[in-house]
Amino acid sequence: MDYKKENLSCDVLIAGGGVGGLTAAIEIKEKNPDLDVLIVEKQTTGYGGKANKGGGVLQYFRPDMSPAEFVKFHVENIGCYLGDQDVMYKYVEMNTEMLEKLISWGCNLPKNPDGSWFVIPTGPMTSMITVDLDITLKMRQRATKLGVRIMDKTTVAEFFVDGDKIAGAAAYSILDGTFYVIKAKYVVVATGSQNYRFASMWSSGRGDGIAAAYRAGAEMRNCEFGNFTQIAKVKSHDEVVFGENNMYNAKGEFITPHFRSYRETDINSNAIREWYWQMLAGTGPVHLEYPEREQESRPAPAEGTDSKEGGAAMARLFDRPYGRQFRMLNTISSQSADQGSMEICPLFIGEQSPIRVDGDMATSIKGMYAIGDCSYTGSAAPGAVPAPPGRNRGSGILNAVFAGIVCGDAIAALKTCGCAPADIPAEKVAAVEEAIYAPLKRTAGHKAKDVIDLVQRAVVPIEQSVYMKEDRMKKAEGIVAEAREASKDLCAEDWHDLLACHEAEAMVTCAEMFYAASEMRKESRGWFLREDYPDIDNKNWLKWIIVQNVDGKMTLHTEDVPIDKYPNKPE
Amino acid sequence: MFPTIFTKHTIEFDPSKCVGCGLCYKACFVDVIRWDEENRKPIFKYVEDCEHCFYCQSQCKKEAIRVVPNYASERLLQSFPQYK
Ligand SMILES: Cc1cc2nc3c(=O)[nH]c(=O)nc-3n(C[C@H](O)[C@H](O)[C@H](O)COP(=O)(O)OP(=O)(O)OC[C@H]3O[C@@H](n4cnc5c(N)ncnc54)[C@H](O)[C@@H]3O)c2cc1C
Ligand code: SF4
Ligand code: SF4
Repeated sequence: MDYKKENLSCDVLIAGGGVGGLTAAIEIKEKNPDLDVLIVEKQTTGYGGKANKGGGVLQYFRPDMSPAEFVKFHVENIGCYLGDQDVMYKYVEMNTEMLEKLISWGCNLPKNPDGSWFVIPTGPMTSMITVDLDITLKMRQRATKLGVRIMDKTTVAEFFVDGDKIAGAAAYSILDGTFYVIKAKYVVVATGSQNYRFASMWSSGRGDGIAAAYRAGAEMRNCEFGNFTQIAKVKSHDEVVFGENNMYNAKGEFITPHFRSYRETDINSNAIREWYWQMLAGTGPVHLEYPEREQESRPAPAEGTDSKEGGAAMARLFDRPYGRQFRMLNTISSQSADQGSMEICPLFIGEQSPIRVDGDMATSIKGMYAIGDCSYTGSAAPGAVPAPPGRNRGSGILNAVFAGIVCGDAIAALKTCGCAPADIPAEKVAAVEEAIYAPLKRTAGHKAKDVIDLVQRAVVPIEQSVYMKEDRMKKAEGIVAEAREASKDLCAEDWHDLLACHEAEAMVTCAEMFYAASEMRKESRGWFLREDYPDIDNKNWLKWIIVQNVDGKMTLHTEDVPIDKYPNKPE
Repeated sequence: MFPTIFTKHTIEFDPSKCVGCGLCYKACFVDVIRWDEENRKPIFKYVEDCEHCFYCQSQCKKEAIRVVPNYASERLLQSFPQYK
């Protein structure tokens, strides 16, 4: 297949035009209008990504609560001491600033008639407010007005590095295959998480940005926290948020108390494990019941917390004109499929987000930043949980906004060297080009979906990803190795299929990182559960596992969590 | 050799209602819909990749699109026979 070639250059290349990428673009332009910012988005900026597909809820922290209070709660109950407490503090501290910024960018955050925030109390220490689902469209308008350039239907396939510094990226059009070599002083990776193309709605997270950053040599952190799983109705696969509070087995026994004694912020992996145990014991299927009279038997709010479910406020949750129809279409369709059935089953979601970043969202490659869902666990801020919701409802959009602002500020201030990038050597470009287009030149080989099928068979069964054990991990790794082999002769029919090939290869890489790190972590912590190491081990495992590509080989090492410098320490 | 991961959702399209605004094409976040520039109409080119998100349908002000999910064609892939 013939294709054109073009060379481009910019000051800042942003890969991915979701809420994270748009935030960074706007922030940079507002702070430093002279910088030439280019967003390259695989689908359509403002329409793609996840922020407009979900609940549009934003985490809200009461102004009378000090950030330190929430950080303590988070570290003890959610992050399990594996988090970067400084970054978490900064995130909480910026809450109101972020909300005000979203409003100034044209986003619609409903308020009460008296101008106060419309707040829905959710879990211990947390509440939420809402944003209408045209959030990213409004942000696209704002970015365009500020002079941000946007290239849609173009996917970033590889990053170019010059020594220890970023030099740019290779990209191609998914419509006509045009090959772009883009020179840039700064690159922001905002390509979302790895969801292995499995659960509907989440499946746009295909990890190709993460895999490209890995190939370029960027460090990865907390790869083993890439296995978020939700409970869903078996017919419609519709997720039931907070359903874990109402689980019953086939004998009619209320099984939620087996894994929690008070209402937690969100689902935890032990709810998924409980489902698995019930099924093994022959007491499945598991279903949900909401007997009104028995509400008192539900896990009670933790002592001293504001964990009311929000009653009337919940009813106003979708009181947002843009998102309402979208939500309704989904609800009506899933309800008609479920026909009242409340049987549930785990729905694997994934959410691996391991690109390692510091407090400025800078990666280990100079001039390269990573924000939002691609670096959520890599930032270490949330600790021992997978990417948003990270047992923290409403933290997905705001984490992306937070990271976009922080990285935007660093770039606007030209914190890392803003000098012109070196020319990208022609032979390097030629090698990358050849590798990118190789699947189109093959006439026989494996299809992308063969490879994706294998990876899904490894990571989706929950006893191979959520409730793990050495032998089951080995089995899964065997399947991933088969997928790796199959990925070596991928063949594509057209540009759309070529993209699927690159995504498939990225899924193999992410699964490899997941199992390598999971095997290494010999304990259970937070979301991470192992049958063979069931306890948290603060003596040996207050450590981050760092995964890095060194000369084509996956290397792993650990780094101590600098717990001494943090205010909250395990006993 | 391998079982398929293609979904079997269908998209019903009524070209007589379509005014060619292009919003459905922009809306699709997984490249199911392409754009026919000449006729100013969407092409539902990769329907086997549809994730039944309903975003295209919700964008169409002319009600020219209806997404019909086939939930049974999606997998759960758990290790118990009823949840394959
Ligand atoms: C069903 C659902 C419900 C949710 N509900 C909520 C909620 O109520 N509240 C909340 O806070 N969060 C919620 N989230 C999470 C939240 O939407 C995400 O955390 C947030 O959108 C992440 O933003 P992002 O920009 O980092 O990534 P994304 O939104 O995933 O955007 C990444 C963008 O990069 C593009 N891209 C990917 N690869 C490439 C590439 N190689 N080259 C170029 N472009 C690329 C993608 O097409 C996409 O547009 C929900 C998510 C889902 C799926
Ligand atoms: S959104 Fe509706 S009217 Fe607009 S192009 Fe698509 S089908 Fe036609
Ligand atoms: S329902 Fe969603 S995935 Fe399917 S074609 Fe429409 S926008 Fe694309």
